[in-house]
Amino acid sequence: MRFLMTSMAADDQPDEQLYAEMAKFIEEMTAKGVLLATGGLAPEGVVLTSVGDELTVTDGPFAESREAVGGFALVEVGSKAEAIELGRRFRRIVGDGKSVIQQVYGP
Amino acid sequence: MNDDVRATVDAVWRLESARIVAALMRLLHDVGLAEEIAQDALLAALEQWPDNGIPDNPGAWLTTIAKRRAVDHIRRARRFEELAPRLAVDALEEQPDDVLRLMFIACHPALAPRTRAALTLRMVAGLSPAEIARAFLTTEPVIQQSIAAAKSTLAEVHARFELPPPDELAGRLSSVLEVLYLIFNEGYAATAGDDLLRPELTREALRLARVLAELAPHEAEAHGLVALMEIQASRSAARTGPDGAPVRLHEQNRGLWDQLLIRRGFTAMLRARELGGTPGAYVLQAAIAVCHAQARTAEDTDWAQIATLYELLERLLPTPVVRLNRAVAVSFARDPAEALELVEPLLADPALRDFHLLPSVRADLLLRLGRIAEARLEFGRAADLAANAAERAFLMKKAGEAGPGEPTLGEVAEAFLARDDLGAATLRSYRQTMVRLRRSLGDRLPLGELTADRVARAFAVAWGDAAPATWNRHVAAARTFAAWIGRSEAASGLSRKDTTRAEKAAREVVWHSESVPLRERTLWTLIEESGAPIQAVLSLGVEDLDLADRRARAGRRWVTWRSGTARLLPQLLAGRTRGPVFLADRRPVPSRPLAEADRCPETGRRRLSYERAEYLCKRITGHTLRRLKDPPNGQH
Repeated sequence: MRFLMTSMAADDQPDEQLYAEMAKFIEEMTAKGVLLATGGLAPEGVVLTSVGDELTVTDGPFAESREAVGGFALVEVGSKAEAIELGRRFRRIVGDGKSVIQQVYGP
Repeated sequence: MNDDVRATVDAVWRLESARIVAALMRLLHDVGLAEEIAQDALLAALEQWPDNGIPDNPGAWLTTIAKRRAVDHIRRARRFEELAPRLAVDALEEQPDDVLRLMFIACHPALAPRTRAALTLRMVAGLSPAEIARAFLTTEPVIQQSIAAAKSTLAEVHARFELPPPDELAGRLSSVLEVLYLIFNEGYAATAGDDLLRPELTREALRLARVLAELAPHEAEAHGLVALMEIQASRSAARTGPDGAPVRLHEQNRGLWDQLLIRRGFTAMLRARELGGTPGAYVLQAAIAVCHAQARTAEDTDWAQIATLYELLERLLPTPVVRLNRAVAVSFARDPAEALELVEPLLADPALRDFHLLPSVRADLLLRLGRIAEARLEFGRAADLAANAAERAFLMKKAGEAGPGEPTLGEVAEAFLARDDLGAATLRSYRQTMVRLRRSLGDRLPLGELTADRVARAFAVAWGDAAPATWNRHVAAARTFAAWIGRSEAASGLSRKDTTRAEKAAREVVWHSESVPLRERTLWTLIEESGAPIQAVLSLGVEDLDLADRRARAGRRWVTWRSGTARLLPQLLAGRTRGPVFLADRRPVPSRPLAEADRCPETGRRRLSYERAEYLCKRITGHTLRRLKDPPNGQH
């Protein structure tokens, strides 16, 4: 089963220790064979909205940055509980904030 | 119990059990005990977490409890005094490659491949016996029994929790890779209707292979296996149609291939290539998979490259299936006639006699060469052999209508078996012969085509390896059938076999042939004649031998032998008076300390290891050392 975990961008800049801990965590999860892909997202983005035939393209950045996704991780595990356990470890490293875990349908 | 807690415990267990069991192995050096204590820790979590809440770091919690129990156990067993120094130095400190050591133990060559697979799933992947049983389509007691037997075998051969020495590493590693690929295929072969746990095996094997490649980053074959699995797994959504029927590679919708896995496969392949060296079997198979993955459409496939890769692969892995695949590649890269020539010898291979892809590939080639009638016959035979209904329907469609008019083998055989002038036992025996003949030759074979040549070839494939008595029974049946249909000449290519001489000759060949090295001949003869445990035989020192009385002391028991060993031993010793009887081929690596008794004082060579002896025995005779001790059917 695949799960996508998206995490909201944090307000404060990450420090060096956080970087080091994250790098170690990512390395460990990759070595365990569960982390398929991960990355951070740029705060600015483009929004496409379609209504009927009309398509609107809006350039960012956006005001509600608190709800903007700052990073993602795609994991492959045996159960939802395993995905949650991985998320738990991740949150313990990054501190206050919010992540969302969703199952990815398909393979 | 709270389901959430249960699910969390299971999740933590899946992620951490390999590390925990490995840490326990480091402390206890006993597979059975390590497993038992790991289970204790798991139980403790199931008991305590619902009340006390899930700890902050569940993995660390489990590890701590497990280690504490292991130390308690050692104290209780009063072995603490003896083990204390080791405990203090390194045993509590986990090493990064502990999980790798665990894989090597679980995939020990003294165990059969399927047992290794079960043990690996148990100890490294953390699956329960019930889960393993479901995945392998068997029952829990069967798995439990095989795991228990594996543990005692590991104890008997003194399997150590350590990385194999450099000269054994490649062999041991390939044993691990073989097991992971076996687990992968067990899952990959499962179909949509099967229990979901079977496809889960694919993911589990892939995960273990990724772990292995990280732990052994300098082994190209480990990366090759990862690449092969990633790319094969990338096709899982495309390989069955909406009705569950298998879709062949060149007909798959490439848009359904998982690009993420393909790219991961490419990355693993690059890592394998960067390591250089002669490509091994997994790297070659991965390279073939890469070729397919790179082709945007089936027509774009670089068949010339694939044919070349199969040619290299065939040298390493000369199996009939590899040869068949090579023929297919050649037919696209060059021409069908050349491919047909490669396929013909496979018709004589007993391993492929029930394999529907052989006639199916042959039929395709014949069709492309315009030999329509033969192609029809082969498609029909392929359809008869196919186990899958969708596949059979597809082949039947291709076979079209059977040739009109002339009676076929199938019809005449039915009439023959419907005779009422024969006893039930005779009919049953005839039926066995006819079933096999019809499968080999095809029910649609026109009777006029039932030539002596065809019958003789079918017999050689079907019963060439059988005992002479079996062979003779089938020959008698075929002769009766041929006479009954008025075509006695059809059985004229068959002759009876002498029932006693052939069997003995087959055994003697392997054993006493001068081409088998003296050390192996001596070791095998000694094992066979003494019936002693293999480890006991390997542990013998020259000074233990009593050549005159044909016996030697091994620990508390005597190992005795007969004339065969007595003849060979003096040649093997060649005047040596001390050191191990059976020596390794090479000198040990200087950095590895070695017990004095395990080294020959004259040549400096070390004692022959069980792993190496087993490997040589399998390579030359095709079976294990234990088989020598207890041959099937009690042949002595």
